[in-house]
Amino acid sequence: MLELAIGIILGCCALGAGAAMIAGIGPGIGEGNAVAKACEAIGRQPECKGDVTTTMLMGCAIAETTGLYALVIAILLIFFAPGRFVDILMTAIG
Amino acid sequence: MNTKSKLFRLVDLCLLGMILLPLVAGIALQVLTQPVSGGLEISGAYIYCTIPLPFQELPITESQVNSWLVMVSVLGLCLYLTHGLAPKAQTRRQLAAEWIVEKADGLVRQNMGEYFKGFAPFIAAILALSAFSSLLSLIGLYPPTSDLNVVGGWALLVFFLITFYRFKAGPVQYLKAFADPPLLAPLNVISEVATPVSMAFRHYGNVLSGSIISALVATALQGLSAIVLGWLPGVLGQFPLLQIGLPAILSVYFDLFSGYLQAFIFAMLTMLYVAGAFPADVYAQRQARKQRKTQPHTN
Amino acid sequence: MQSLAVISLNLWQILISLCNLVILYLILKKFLFQRVKKVMAQRQEDLDKQYQQAARAEEDALANQKKWEQTMSGAKQQADEMLRSAAARAERRSDQIVADAKERADGIVRQAESEAQLERRKAADEMKRELVDLSTQLAEKMLQREIRQQDHHDIIQAFVDQIGENDDRDQ
Repeated sequence: MLELAIGIILGCCALGAGAAMIAGIGPGIGEGNAVAKACEAIGRQPECKGDVTTTMLMGCAIAETTGLYALVIAILLIFFAPGRFVDILMTAIG
Repeated sequence: MNTKSKLFRLVDLCLLGMILLPLVAGIALQVLTQPVSGGLEISGAYIYCTIPLPFQELPITESQVNSWLVMVSVLGLCLYLTHGLAPKAQTRRQLAAEWIVEKADGLVRQNMGEYFKGFAPFIAAILALSAFSSLLSLIGLYPPTSDLNVVGGWALLVFFLITFYRFKAGPVQYLKAFADPPLLAPLNVISEVATPVSMAFRHYGNVLSGSIISALVATALQGLSAIVLGWLPGVLGQFPLLQIGLPAILSVYFDLFSGYLQAFIFAMLTMLYVAGAFPADVYAQRQARKQRKTQPHTN
Repeated sequence: MQSLAVISLNLWQILISLCNLVILYLILKKFLFQRVKKVMAQRQEDLDKQYQQAARAEEDALANQKKWEQTMSGAKQQADEMLRSAAARAERRSDQIVADAKERADGIVRQAESEAQLERRKAADEMKRELVDLSTQLAEKMLQREIRQQDHHDIIQAFVDQIGENDDRDQ
């Protein structure tokens, strides 16, 4: 019974980590848009290439934040949560 | 000129040693203390020893030691670049030193304005520490930037700076801004705290995800080569032949490009946040108005 | 020994890394920025000094040139003046010479004229006397007896004088 419970905890943590990384879609689309617009801007005004690139990188970095939050959650779920949940289970059983 | 004198060369050699020896020492320390692990192992920094302190005991970890090594190396680099500076002698290292100083000054002046020109060494320090820490993974050392505590410390310092300049720009305005729509006060506090948290997580997450993906790819390639080339006799079968090539390309992206980019972004965000927290021209105007108001009293 | 977890927070580690950044800031400021700035300021100062020296040298050169030009123009003026004064003197001299010559020539001419007049007067007197004598003799020969010689002579003399005066006025 205990093994089943631990198995469920581990599996759910892995599932949760995988589900958390769905958030990677958002920054992907957003950064793609940003880079596309930046390319358009550079095509229209090639003399502004340096400024546009810097601004685009900054924007990409900020857009990436949500993806990195998801990554942190996923890492927590894989490396940190199972042990903690099992500890909680153990203390509950006694 | 005494640039060719023996003493000068000796000091040069010592400084070069000061740059390179920390890296060698880091590798030696890693080889001596850490057991060779087989298979996939993703973990945090290795703990050398722990020091008991109030609240929480302090583990002296690989990331701390590596960042100290980076600092010694940067100090050596500074001393090497500025060794034998002369107003006239244009050696290559002097040109490099002046280039660095001028670039940092220009970057700060362009992004923060004239008021914050004293920030140039600070921005240069962030860039150097972050970039060199991330680059440590190129020589197989643990990059301190993939430890949340290290990056968290920097982000905390930036948060202190931002708060200090907000407060300096106007204590009343600073406190009032929290309750701008009075109902959203908790959210304002959270968004204020989110700045350093997101900065720390951004840097940490990028470097850590890079090293995790590198480790995953390397392990996968090792397994693949064991399956494909396992029938070969002797050492040839055990040697992970497929590990040559692809990890290097990944390393170029994750270690070189991402390391530099994250350092640049961290420095850039620091500049933008600090400069945004303190509008120097508005401050000067208010100061002038205050002076004008107090002058009739003094007269 | 063991490793840290992938995500872990430690207050002291955070503080240490914060201090690390501050220390690196001080290192960079002290050992890189201040030194390089000092050297650059020194170079700027040297450059300024050199520029000043160059400006001063140019000023000197300009002043020299001006002085030289002034001297040159002064010399030219002097030469001109000398030439002019010489020419004036020569002209004056030649004028004088010409005037002298003219004067002398005038003198000669006048003398010659006066001499000629004297001569003529003398000749006229001679002629008059001769005419008087002649006429006297003629009259003497013609009227020898009835008229006294003295009276005739006086009349003729008066007549001849009148003629002589007319002659003189005509000339």
